[in-house]
Amino acid sequence: MSLSIKQDIRFRVYMAFTGICLFGIAIVIKAAMIQFQEGPKLRALAKEMHTRFDTLKADRGNIYNEDGVLLSSSIPEFEVHIDFSVIDSGLFAKNIDTLAGCVANLFADKSAEIYKEEFVRAYNDGEKYYLLGRKLKYYQHEALRSFPIFNKGKGLGGFISDPKEKREAPYKTLAYRTIGIFRDSNVTGLEATYNDTLTGENGRRIVQKSTGGAWVPIEGSEVDPQNGKDIVTTLDMNIQDVAEHALLSLLQKYECLYGTCIVMEVKTGKIRTLVNLGRQTDGSYFEDFNYAMIPTEPGSTFKLVTLLSLLNDKMINVDDIVDAEGGAIRFGNRTMNDSHLGLHAMPIWKAYAESSNAAMAKLANQHYKDNPSKYIEHLTKLHLDQPTGIDLAGERRTVITKPGMTTWSNTTLPWMATGYGILISPLHTCMLYNAIANDGKMMRPYLVSSIREYGKEVKSFAPHMIEQVGDSNTIAQLRKCTRAVVTEGTGKGIESPYYTMSGKTGTAQVADKGIRYTDGVYQGSFVGYMPAEAPKYTICVVIRTKPHSAAYYGGTIAAPVFRMVADKIFSENMGAWAGPLDSFAKTNNGRLTSSMATARNYRTLLNGIKKPAPTPGDYLNQMMQMSTDSSKKMTILPAKLFRDIMPDLKGMGLKDAVYMLETCGLQVQVMGKGKVQSQSIIPGTRINKGQNVILQLS
Amino acid sequence: MSVKKLLNKTKGDQVIWAVVMVLSLISLLAVYSSTGSLAYRSEKASSFFLLKQVMVLGLGLLIIYWVHNINYTKFAKVAVLLYFISIPLLLYTLLFGTSLNEGSRWIKLPVVNLTFQTSDLAKLALFMFLARVLSMKQAVIKDFKKGFLPVLLPMLLTCAFIAPANLSTALMLGATCSIVFYIGRVQVKHLLLLGAVGIMGVTLLFVGSKVTGIGRAKTWEKRIMDFTDRSKKDPKQEDVYQVQQAKIAIANGGVTGRGPGNSLQRNFLPHPYSDFIYSIIIEEYGLLGGAALVFFYLLFLWRSILIFKRCPFAFGAFLAVGLSITLVFQAMLNMAVNVHLVPVTGLTLPMVSMGGSSIWFTSVAIGIILSVSKYVDEMEGGKKKAGKRKIEKQEKGVVTTDSAVDDAIDEEEEEENAEIASKIFVQTGKRGTAGGVIPAGA
Repeated sequence: MSLSIKQDIRFRVYMAFTGICLFGIAIVIKAAMIQFQEGPKLRALAKEMHTRFDTLKADRGNIYNEDGVLLSSSIPEFEVHIDFSVIDSGLFAKNIDTLAGCVANLFADKSAEIYKEEFVRAYNDGEKYYLLGRKLKYYQHEALRSFPIFNKGKGLGGFISDPKEKREAPYKTLAYRTIGIFRDSNVTGLEATYNDTLTGENGRRIVQKSTGGAWVPIEGSEVDPQNGKDIVTTLDMNIQDVAEHALLSLLQKYECLYGTCIVMEVKTGKIRTLVNLGRQTDGSYFEDFNYAMIPTEPGSTFKLVTLLSLLNDKMINVDDIVDAEGGAIRFGNRTMNDSHLGLHAMPIWKAYAESSNAAMAKLANQHYKDNPSKYIEHLTKLHLDQPTGIDLAGERRTVITKPGMTTWSNTTLPWMATGYGILISPLHTCMLYNAIANDGKMMRPYLVSSIREYGKEVKSFAPHMIEQVGDSNTIAQLRKCTRAVVTEGTGKGIESPYYTMSGKTGTAQVADKGIRYTDGVYQGSFVGYMPAEAPKYTICVVIRTKPHSAAYYGGTIAAPVFRMVADKIFSENMGAWAGPLDSFAKTNNGRLTSSMATARNYRTLLNGIKKPAPTPGDYLNQMMQMSTDSSKKMTILPAKLFRDIMPDLKGMGLKDAVYMLETCGLQVQVMGKGKVQSQSIIPGTRINKGQNVILQLS
Repeated sequence: MSVKKLLNKTKGDQVIWAVVMVLSLISLLAVYSSTGSLAYRSEKASSFFLLKQVMVLGLGLLIIYWVHNINYTKFAKVAVLLYFISIPLLLYTLLFGTSLNEGSRWIKLPVVNLTFQTSDLAKLALFMFLARVLSMKQAVIKDFKKGFLPVLLPMLLTCAFIAPANLSTALMLGATCSIVFYIGRVQVKHLLLLGAVGIMGVTLLFVGSKVTGIGRAKTWEKRIMDFTDRSKKDPKQEDVYQVQQAKIAIANGGVTGRGPGNSLQRNFLPHPYSDFIYSIIIEEYGLLGGAALVFFYLLFLWRSILIFKRCPFAFGAFLAVGLSITLVFQAMLNMAVNVHLVPVTGLTLPMVSMGGSSIWFTSVAIGIILSVSKYVDEMEGGKKKAGKRKIEKQEKGVVTTDSAVDDAIDEEEEEENAEIASKIFVQTGKRGTAGGVIPAGA
C-alpha cells in the first residue's frame, strides 16, 4: 500500500511537472506566434499608432524689482480661426444672428450686420481657416469660446484657437535695454542674461492618436513642466523714470547722439537705474543700445585714477602745490592744453577741481615717466583691464595702452593721465567713483538681487567687493578733491541748497569708429555721489554730442542731469532722509514759500538753507507751519490738527497728505501720481472719523 | 578563494543557487533598462532603481542564505503560527489597508515603515501550512471529510480574504493549491468539485460586487472583456493599450532581440519593470532569451522535484514541491499574461520584476526549499561517509525535530496518522531502510 502511495505521488508530481512544462512551451510558442504571425501587423501598427511626445510648455518667469513691481511678464495671446466647413447648416442658420451680435459686441469694431454678412459669405464659401482675430486677450478668447456655434468646439463649431505667449513689459520703454526683450529672433538685456533661470524646463507627455484623430494623453506618462523662476532686479523705476526724463531733456536740448545715466547704490553696488538713449533718424530717442557698457575714452573723470595712483604710491598730497604753467605744457612733440587757460601755481585739489589737464599730465609725467608700467599697474589693480562683471550680457573688453605696444609713445602717459589713450565704459567710471564714495571698497555692479520661485526666494545675490582701492587717508584726500569740484570747480553750477554732492566733470574729444577728433564730437560726463558726507548713491552721466555742438562741457550737458536725478533721490525720502521737500517748500523769485509739513521735514529744509532749526520738543513729528513773525523772521509754529475740519492739501506730497488725513481719522484713497491736485472733501468742511476721502494727484 | 569559501558555505542544491543567481542577474539588466522613464519622471538618477534593486536582491540572497541554514523541520511549527497570523492580517488589510492605485492590498508595518502586500505573506504561510497538513493526512486523504476538508478549508479561508481586493491572486492561489492537492493525492473528482465550486464562488462574488457596487467588478469585467476582444479583426478596435504594447514589444524583439538596453516599448508600456518585464526581456533578448527564462524556471522546478524525490519525510517533500510549484506557476502565469495567453492579472515575475517585499517573500520560499535540500544532502552525505556516530547524531536530531512536528499537531489529530505520515517515505523510499528515523513517538 505504501509503495503505491509513493508511486502515486510520484506519478502525480510528474504529471504536474509535465503540465507546467507544457504551459511553458505554450508561452514560448505563443511568443513565437506573436512574432511571426502578428509581427508584421504589430510593427506596422506601432508606426501607425502615432504615439508621440507632446511638449508641455513651461511658463517663463517674471522680472520684478525689489519693490515688487512687475517689469516683465508673459501674457497669453490667442489667434482664432474658424473652420466654417464643419458647422452644421441648421446650427448655423439658427445661431448666426446671435453670434454676429455677440462678436460685434465683443470687438466693438464692426456692426452685427457686417459680421453676419462676412460670416454668411465665409460659410457659403466653406472657408476652412477664416481669421477671426489676432492677438486676442485671454478674456476675449474665453468670451468667443462661449458664443453659440463656437461653444461646440473645434469638431462641430469650427473654433480653432492658437495660443501664443507674449512677453510684455508694463513700463514699456522704461529701462527697455536693461530689462531686455524676449522674442524668438532676439533676446537682450536681463532676459538674455538670466534666460536659463527664466526659461524653466518644458514637461512632456506621451499622446496617442485615437481612432477619432484626437491626441489622447496616456495616463501616467506626464512629466510636469518646471516653470521658470522669477528674477528680482535692483532697478528703482521711480529713479529710472526721472533719470530717463532728465537725460532725455538734455539730449533733446542739444540734439546729442546718445546719453547714458547710471545710478548705483554706494554700499552694495546695486544698479538702481540704467538709462541708455540713442538718437534715432527721426530725431527721437530710444533705448537702442547699451551705451553704459561701451568702452570709450573717459576724459577728465579719469584724472581720479591718476590722483589715486599718486596717492597710493605716497608721491603727493592733494594740498601740495602744482604749477599748471598757464595751462599749456609741452610733452615731447605735443602740447597739453587746459580748456580754460591761465592757471598757474595751485594746490593739487584745486587743479583737479578746475580740471587742469596740464597740471594732471605734468604730475603723472613727473612721477611715472621713468617707469610708466607702474602707472599701468594701478589700472590693473583697479580692474580696469577687465569687464566690471555686471550680470548683464554684452560687456566688451576695455583697452589700455601699455609700454611696449606699438601704440605707446612718450606722450601716451601724460595723455592717459587726463583720460585719453584708454577705453573704459561709463559703468567702469561709475564703479570707480563709487569706490571712493564707499570708503575705498570697490563694489561689483549688479542688477539682480534675488531669484524667486512661487513667490519664495530661492537664491539671493549678495554685494561683492572687488577690491579695496585705497586707504582711508587716500580716500579722504580724493573726497576733498571731488567735493571741491562742486563747491568751487567745474561743477559749481549744480550745488544744491538742500544737500551736498561730490563729483567730477569730464569733457573728452571723441575719436571713435568713423569719428575723428576734428569732427568736433565730444563726450561730456559727470560722475559723482551724494550726499557728499555719507554717500548713498553714485550717479554717472555720459553724453555724446552731435558734431560741432555749441554745448559740450560735462558741466553743461551732463551735470544738470546728475542734479535732477540727485534731487529726485533726495526728495524720494529714501532711507533715513526726511523729505519730500518740494511738496511743501518752494523757492520763487528768491522767496521761500512753504505749507504745512512734519517737523522733521522742516528741520531738513532749514538745514538746507543753513538756518537754525527750532527744536519744538514734543512736536517732533507733528504738523508744523512756517510763518514769519513781526520782524519778518521765519518762525515755525505747531499746526493745529483740525480733528473735525477738512484741511487743504493742495500741493502737498502724498506721504504728508496721507499722514495728515490718517491723523484726522479719514480713509484715504489715492488716484494718480505726484502731488495733491484736488480732494473729494472741500477744505473747511466738517469731517467724521472713518469717512472716505479721494485724493487726485497730478 | 572567497568565492570558494562562499560556495562551501552555501549548502543545498547548487543548481538552484545558480538559477537564483541567473534570475537576479536578468532582473538587474531588465530593471535597469526599463526604469529609465520612471527614473526620469520621478526626477531620480537613471541608476536609482537599479541600485535599489541591487539592494533588494542582495538582501533577498541574504534571506535565502539565512533561511536555508535553518533545519526545515522547524518550519512545521512556523507554518501553523504564520498561517494563523496571516488570516487576521488579510482581514485587516481588506478593511484598513493602503491601496496603491488598485484594491487595498498593502499594509504598512509600524516602526520599520515598510509596506508589504499581505497576500504575499498569506501565500507563503498557506503553502507551508498545506505541506504540513497534507503530509499528516496522507492515510485518509481520499476521504472527503477526514482528508480533503482539512486541507481544503485553510485554502478557502485564505482565498476568500484575498479575493475581494485581488481576485487574480486569489484565483492563482486556488489554481496552485489545486496542483498541490493533486500531488498530495487528493481525489480527482474532489478537485473537479472544487473547480466547479470555485467558478460558482467567483461568479457570485462578481455578481455581488456588480450589483452592490462594492469591490472591483468593473476592473475585472474590463479585463475579461479586453481579453476576449482580441478575437476582433481590427487591431485598432482592441482598446487594450498595455497588451497591445506588450505584443509590439515581443514583435520588436525577433528571435535574437534588439540587444540589452535597446527596448523601444519601455517608454510606452505601463509598468515595464514589473508586470510586463517579460515583454521587455523578449524585446531586448529575443525569443531565445524568453525561452531561456522559461527554461530556468522549469529547471528550478525540476531540481525541486529531485529534492522532493530524495526527501524521506512527507512534510519536507511537500514543502519543497509545493513552494516551488507556486513560484514557478506564478512565473508562468505572468509570462502567459505578457504573451496574451491569459487575461491581465496583477502578478509579477518572481525574482525578476522590480520589487521589495515580494522578492523577500520569494526569497524565504527559496530558502525553505534549499533548507530541505540541504537536509537531504546532509543526510545522504552522512550515510555515504558511513560514519555511524554521525548518523546516530543526525538521527537523534531528526527524532527530536520530527517530534517537534508532532507537538505542533492539534491534539484532536490521531497520533497514528502522524506516525503513518512520517513513515510513508521511510518505508517506501529507495533508501528507506534506515529504520532509525522512525519517530520515537510511534
